[in-house]
Amino acid sequence: MLRLPSNFARGLTSTLGACLLVAANSAAQAPSPATTAATHEVVDEAGRSIRVPLSPARIISLAPSLTETVYALGLQDRLVGDTDYCDYPPEAQKKPKVGGAINPSLEEIAALHPDLVLVTKDFNRLETVRALEALGIPSYAIDPHTVADILSSTHKLADVLGAPDAGKTLENELHQRLAALQTKLAGIPPRRVLFIVWTEPLISIGKQTFIADALREAGAVSIVESEQSWPQMNLEEVVRLQPDYLVFAASHSSGAERDFDVLAGRPGWDILQAVQNRRFAVISEAVNRPAPRIVSAIEELARQLHPEVFREASPPSKDVPAAKPAPADRTSSSSLTIPITPSSAAKELACAR
Amino acid sequence: MNTIARSPLASPDRPNANTDVRLSVEQVSYAYSPNPSQAPIFTLEALSFQAKPGEIVAVLGPNASGKSTLLKLISGALQPLSGRIFLNNFVIHSLPTKTRAQRIALVQQESTLIFPSLVWEFVLQGRHPYGRSLRFESESDIIIAKNALAQVGALHLSDRPMDKISGGEKQRVILARALAQQPLLLLLDEPTLHLDIGAQVDLLDNLRRLAAENRYSVVVVTHELNLAGEYADQVVLMQKGKCLRVGSPAAVYQRELLEQVFQAPLSVVIAPSGRPRVTLFSNT
Amino acid sequence: MRPLTLGRLFLRCGILAIILFIVVVIALKLGAVQVSLYGLGRDLIHVLLGRSNAISTEYGMVVINIRLPRILLGIFVGAALAVAGTSFQALLRNPLADPYVLGVSSGASVGAILALIVENHLALSPAFAGLVTPVGAFLGAALTIGAVYLLGRHNGQIDSSTLLLGGIITASFLQAVINFLMSTVLGGNLRGASYWLMGDLSTPQPRSLLYVLGIGFVIAAGAIYTTAADLNLLLAGEKEAMHLGVDVRRVRIVVYLAASILTGLAVSVSGTIGYVGLLVPHVMRLVFGSDHRMLLPAAALGGAIALVIADTLARTVVAPSELPVGAVTAIVGAPLFIYLLRRRLA
Repeated sequence: MLRLPSNFARGLTSTLGACLLVAANSAAQAPSPATTAATHEVVDEAGRSIRVPLSPARIISLAPSLTETVYALGLQDRLVGDTDYCDYPPEAQKKPKVGGAINPSLEEIAALHPDLVLVTKDFNRLETVRALEALGIPSYAIDPHTVADILSSTHKLADVLGAPDAGKTLENELHQRLAALQTKLAGIPPRRVLFIVWTEPLISIGKQTFIADALREAGAVSIVESEQSWPQMNLEEVVRLQPDYLVFAASHSSGAERDFDVLAGRPGWDILQAVQNRRFAVISEAVNRPAPRIVSAIEELARQLHPEVFREASPPSKDVPAAKPAPADRTSSSSLTIPITPSSAAKELACAR
Repeated sequence: MNTIARSPLASPDRPNANTDVRLSVEQVSYAYSPNPSQAPIFTLEALSFQAKPGEIVAVLGPNASGKSTLLKLISGALQPLSGRIFLNNFVIHSLPTKTRAQRIALVQQESTLIFPSLVWEFVLQGRHPYGRSLRFESESDIIIAKNALAQVGALHLSDRPMDKISGGEKQRVILARALAQQPLLLLLDEPTLHLDIGAQVDLLDNLRRLAAENRYSVVVVTHELNLAGEYADQVVLMQKGKCLRVGSPAAVYQRELLEQVFQAPLSVVIAPSGRPRVTLFSNT
Repeated sequence: MRPLTLGRLFLRCGILAIILFIVVVIALKLGAVQVSLYGLGRDLIHVLLGRSNAISTEYGMVVINIRLPRILLGIFVGAALAVAGTSFQALLRNPLADPYVLGVSSGASVGAILALIVENHLALSPAFAGLVTPVGAFLGAALTIGAVYLLGRHNGQIDSSTLLLGGIITASFLQAVINFLMSTVLGGNLRGASYWLMGDLSTPQPRSLLYVLGIGFVIAAGAIYTTAADLNLLLAGEKEAMHLGVDVRRVRIVVYLAASILTGLAVSVSGTIGYVGLLVPHVMRLVFGSDHRMLLPAAALGGAIALVIADTLARTVVAPSELPVGAVTAIVGAPLFIYLLRRRLA
């Protein structure tokens, strides 16, 4: 009678696997090609200490907001890759793509030989950052929670990228615009608003998000008190709080009007005074991205919420990156509110991107 | 037919007893408690009988007479409450499972096969008690399995899947698996239940022949009066857990006794062969 | 009558291993970065022989550090899931059983999500950081294994139908816990959790973890293999198996524990990848029959082949994006399942 030692067939697979593992192990211990450029240590906004070249020449951005910021700083020539969702400015769509923000292709990233990868703590996954670390590719994370954070993030990012002047200029310009806005809005009570991320289920933004802070800068205050980032709201609670305005972020304002009408027809929503009086504001999706363009979105919102302050409005400001022309940024249409009649000066159709 | 010689048994529990008797059931009883607070229910009251090599014993009785319990006790699945059961002077219940499987083979209605195997694979399972867990079957195992199939006349079914053969054929294949175990004792639980009369006679003819040729002791649980009468060498008549009589069919098949056990009007006639034949009457 | 012999087993497993090897080579070649197989082979041999330390940077870093570990992970997870699926189908006497039916994967998911939550509050050194999620997942799996075992006992031993019921109830309860955690505690940070739950091989695992997985697989799968002949008998009927000398109680416990551990290991690194554990055993049964001494190794190799193919498709079909590998197995698996079902009924 035959006596069979156990795991014979398994041994086959295991041996195969073991050979490959050994090869992988020894090969992987090969040092990655040393960078000849000088490097320095920086601490990113997630508290990580990373070593980057003084002036990174090949950058990959893993978040649309970071792509926008890089363009705003005028450093787009150094951007060698971005995600499928990086669509602003339009030229960004022509850059080599590495996949989504959550599941980028590690191979694509590695094949582009970047010096530095830019990520955001909120949007990207920790696993991606760790995987890049294991490959010897440093990543720099931003983590802004307020509009002021966004400005300083931009400045710090410019420093890390070796273009401190561009950063300072941009930051100053944005700062001035915000300060001007604050002056205009001084003394005016803020509007109470509900910022709607999604209608079914009803999802809004929490106090700690930069969007909530952006609302504040625009002369508004979010009625949502939650600590979560994307809290799901109870419609009854919203009715109890009766916001003055509903705020949507959309890419096309005409679409937003239609969406609002659909929403107004749903049961329960018509109890809201904001719905009955058609008080809603539509701003560009830039408000969702912690990038310089958020300041334009803030200005848009302020215009819609406090039109009386902007009667003698100056022409809408543009996103001006340092020393490079940028596409004009147009404001979205304002809503009809009673008793204020639509002002021709404030009414411009837009296709915010 | 080849019966491969088997190694002599190790020292028995009763070395000096009668070596002519293969199976000895001695004052065996069984009871169980459905729950701890209730008094135990006796499914089997003390009974005894013996079986020699080559003998067929029929355990006969109506439903719920304790027949199945008796079979489980003999097979070693249950431990008797009192008394002991000896197989060639070894206490059955204290044998290790593998050894027991080498000496006692059970033929039952088999449950539905989830992943049906082929007939020869099924019969080869009977060789399982003879090897270590991981071994593959040897040449002698295959020969024994083939012989077993031949002895039940099912060799032509070897390559068929188990779910593609008839009920009678399946019964034969199950018997073949039992034979492949090369047992000393064959236990059958109501083997004729789903068979037509031709298949029933077939099966019992086979059993009688095999018992004689291979010197098996066979214990068949049944409620078929005439089959038991025709084929059994001994009958154990049971009712409600009690053994009423043990003996040859002619001795056990007394009209009043049978009528009392089976609760039906009967008549018993002894045929020229000496075997009793039982006829049923209707009440009208 | 062609009984299984050692020679036949080797031959068939050898063929499957060759197929696996070819699939691995193709998988190494396909991807975002062009790879020259000749150059790769030459470099690998040099490395194995210890002749050179570095691999030319053209493709070496990509292939060795990204693709190869991913392929190895696919081999391990595919083999583990297929072996676990085969074992559960035998243990529960149910052709619809898969590795997740007893709730092990739901327990692992709960563990992983809790680990994700805890991780946000801990500042761990990089050496440990990558281990929190898999360890959390495995702990969740282990606790579930214990709980379902206690639920599945009847008269002191594991009973197939009770076990199945206990497992389904546990799985469903844990799913509710997952939904609760995802909607409240995690709040909006669902991306990481849902990505994990979909089944994903793209996250590189720490090397130490890969070794643990390999050893765990060999031990658990080996333990199941020792009961292979017993499983054949068990499937023909429990009482009969007992009378044929099978220690039913021991076999049940060994198979239950080992198969659950395999599932737990697989799920803790890859999330819940479906259809592999369910279908690979059936396909292998069609080809090789139900003898578990052949079926178990065949399922292991077949599962590895299937998952490496699925993962390669997942990362190449919509390049540069990736599909979650669970989606690919579902798209291929569902029609295959319908086909097998009809064939069985015919």
